[in-house]
Amino acid sequence: MARQLITGPNFSGRSDALRVRLTAGGPAFFVGPYAEAALSGLASTAADELSVYRADTVPQRAPFAPLDFEACADRKPQSLSGGEQVLLALQCFSQSTYGAIGIDTALEQLDGSNRPQAIDFLSQLDAGEVTLIDNRMAAPPPGWSSTACTRGTPGFGCDLAGLMAGLGTRAAPRIVIRDLDFRYRRGVDVFTGAALTLEPGHAYRLFGRNGAGKTTLLKILVGVLAPGRGEILLDDQPCAPWRHGNETFALATQNPDHQWCGATLREDVGRRRAVLKTSVDASRVSDQQIAAAAQKLGIASLDQHLYELPLAARKRLSWLWPLSGVMPWIMLDEPTVGQDRDTCTVLAAALAVFCRHGYGVLFVTHDDEFAGQVPHRMVSIENRRMSTS
Amino acid sequence: MFTTPRLVLIALCAALNVAVGSIVYLLKLPIYLDSIGIILCALLLASDRWAGFVCASIAGTISCVIIFLLVNPFFIWFEMTVLAIALISVLLTARFTGLFQARPLPHGKFVTIVLLCGVVTGVVSAIVSAPVVAYLFGGVTGSGSAFVVAFFLKTGQKLLDAAVLSGLTADPIDKILQVLFAALLYRATPADFIAMLATPPTASAARAA
Amino acid sequence: MTPNGAAIFVAVMLAGALVASEPIGFSLLYAVIAAFALVEVGLRTFAALARSALVVLPLAVFMALVWVGFVGRSPAEIAAGVPGTRVASATYVVVVCLRLFLIVLATQLVTLRFERLTPLQFICALRIPTTAKRLLALTLSLSETLRHAVERARTALIAAGVITRRPSLRNIINGWMLVQTVWLSAITIAVGRMRDKWPIEGTLSRLDDLFQRAQPQSLGSGDAIWLLLGAGAAAFGIGIGIA
Repeated sequence: MARQLITGPNFSGRSDALRVRLTAGGPAFFVGPYAEAALSGLASTAADELSVYRADTVPQRAPFAPLDFEACADRKPQSLSGGEQVLLALQCFSQSTYGAIGIDTALEQLDGSNRPQAIDFLSQLDAGEVTLIDNRMAAPPPGWSSTACTRGTPGFGCDLAGLMAGLGTRAAPRIVIRDLDFRYRRGVDVFTGAALTLEPGHAYRLFGRNGAGKTTLLKILVGVLAPGRGEILLDDQPCAPWRHGNETFALATQNPDHQWCGATLREDVGRRRAVLKTSVDASRVSDQQIAAAAQKLGIASLDQHLYELPLAARKRLSWLWPLSGVMPWIMLDEPTVGQDRDTCTVLAAALAVFCRHGYGVLFVTHDDEFAGQVPHRMVSIENRRMSTS
Repeated sequence: MFTTPRLVLIALCAALNVAVGSIVYLLKLPIYLDSIGIILCALLLASDRWAGFVCASIAGTISCVIIFLLVNPFFIWFEMTVLAIALISVLLTARFTGLFQARPLPHGKFVTIVLLCGVVTGVVSAIVSAPVVAYLFGGVTGSGSAFVVAFFLKTGQKLLDAAVLSGLTADPIDKILQVLFAALLYRATPADFIAMLATPPTASAARAA
Repeated sequence: MTPNGAAIFVAVMLAGALVASEPIGFSLLYAVIAAFALVEVGLRTFAALARSALVVLPLAVFMALVWVGFVGRSPAEIAAGVPGTRVASATYVVVVCLRLFLIVLATQLVTLRFERLTPLQFICALRIPTTAKRLLALTLSLSETLRHAVERARTALIAAGVITRRPSLRNIINGWMLVQTVWLSAITIAVGRMRDKWPIEGTLSRLDDLFQRAQPQSLGSGDAIWLLLGAGAAAFGIGIGIA
């Protein structure tokens, strides 16, 4: 059984090397970056997804079933959280006859309990090949080999300090959330009487198991989801972004492709800028400023088609709007997924700068090493409630 | 001809027709916007005209059937119009894909070409549809253009004339809008998807299997 | 009732709806569909009725306004060049609406009858060639992809303030942006699968294995009864038309 970790910085050809290895033999199971690349797309329920891959004969490997399958069998795969979709993919592999599996950074989305289980499962497979790309893994686990990629693609830098050079101070509002109730239409309770206070000038890490409701909270704050009950106060003033629109939070989504508002950077920023309430805010994100900021990320032109960039470059570009300082609170959902350690360190430093300038920062991550580089307070989401430590 | 990417494209373009066309139909506007997918399909397969025509026609036919079953009982009878729009899109509109993708967009030339392609598509569509509107439905289908036909009938025009005049009034405007939307969607489509569509069948079939 | 029987039943009812040309010709068809609703669908029939009414009522009102109120004669009378009557135009409107209502209702009822089956399970149960099953599965999976793309696009645009969660003038003005974003989302999801997941795994051939493992049900006595009733009602409709 060959188990290999492919290492190297972003844009060094790791994903290509993974694909070459997987396609060298027969068909192999593939779990790509982000949730949508983990599942087949052919099934409308989790149970159906399993049936697509389940073998007639009993596979010669131990089963891997970390999900509460009874609870999610009838759910649409897209309604599961990112981590839950990765776990479902691994469960499908465990019941299939594929002899090889390749995973491209997907394990980075797993929480502290599921991730070691997944790595143990992969480490204990008896036959076949496992190939993994994982930025959170400094060294291969016991019994694994590693191969380093060094081919560099020029052009995608990450000069976040330069990007934020003109950042001024900002008095972000204090956020109070009270009596928050939220359930999805299918009857899944996420929050019951949850409460939280967020002070400006601080960074908060949203922490909880996969599927606890971290991304759901972010979506409530930007107004995408409406709570069944509860209130949000900004500096003691009631605020309902699901009713009146979002004017406070700049969100970088877990999958960067979930936040684009246009085909090109010019379209995306232009549309966001058009709805800003004040000309002061709009002046922070003029075409010239955005073009200069994009160059710090290796993007030469505002007319760059967003979807034609490599995924890691799109991920960094997704930070552009929050890091422009146009909104007083910035929210980053799993910002380090798919990013190498050097980039994570640069991002951590940038977030600390934001806090010192009076902004508020809310970030979701399972990456303890990254979180340790950002002075922060912990917000735990557990049993449909939130608590700060 | 039918690689997996092309099958996916057909389904997406049919869905686009159904989604936008159904909304406009239910709002009883005197336009249709139910063929954006046909034109877009032809643009995306501009490198292979025959494949473009076949795939655009299939996308249009699928949307015809779905709209007929779910929303508009008249729609299935306009299959010839679907084929006519597919043909014009492949022979005329798809010639300008280079212009549609140009960055920066030359606005004057773009508007001129959209107007030209829209008017030609609209006139052809009106002429092909008129006999169906006149002889099968007496000039009035369930769409908002029925008001226009009814107006011409009341002014003493004969049935076929009223249907043609109604079509020539509404169709060019409608098709200009549809060519515009299709061109803008084409412009927004990533190059790697367009490249996938142009891939010869044997290579992509081996990859998709 | 089996999925195969249901598919043929809908086709028979559709054919009957298309050939019936007089209101009375629809009577037996509606009787059969009412019996089907009572026996096979039960209380969920009200949901099907509501959805079908939502589709047909606006058309009925519109056609009544134009045909009966404004034009005042039927298509046949216009084509024959005779003065015509509002009664004839009203009859025409009634026939068109009965036809559409029957088609939409039949489709809704069959969908509700098998709502416990997922689309993939339904396709597995059909007795059609594997290629057709694969095409059907691909098409249905794309409808899920589109729904997912709409959700993604709404998230992006609402979070950015470009559109609002509730209906608004801003949504109408920026509606084009939603269409573009949905298109891009759908394309990106599809490209990702077609470039990586599907070719590496041979995912589509996994579907073929699934279809081959499935045991499509043959037509049963329940199917035969409904098919006979449906065919009989359609024949009655044809007969009335001829008479």
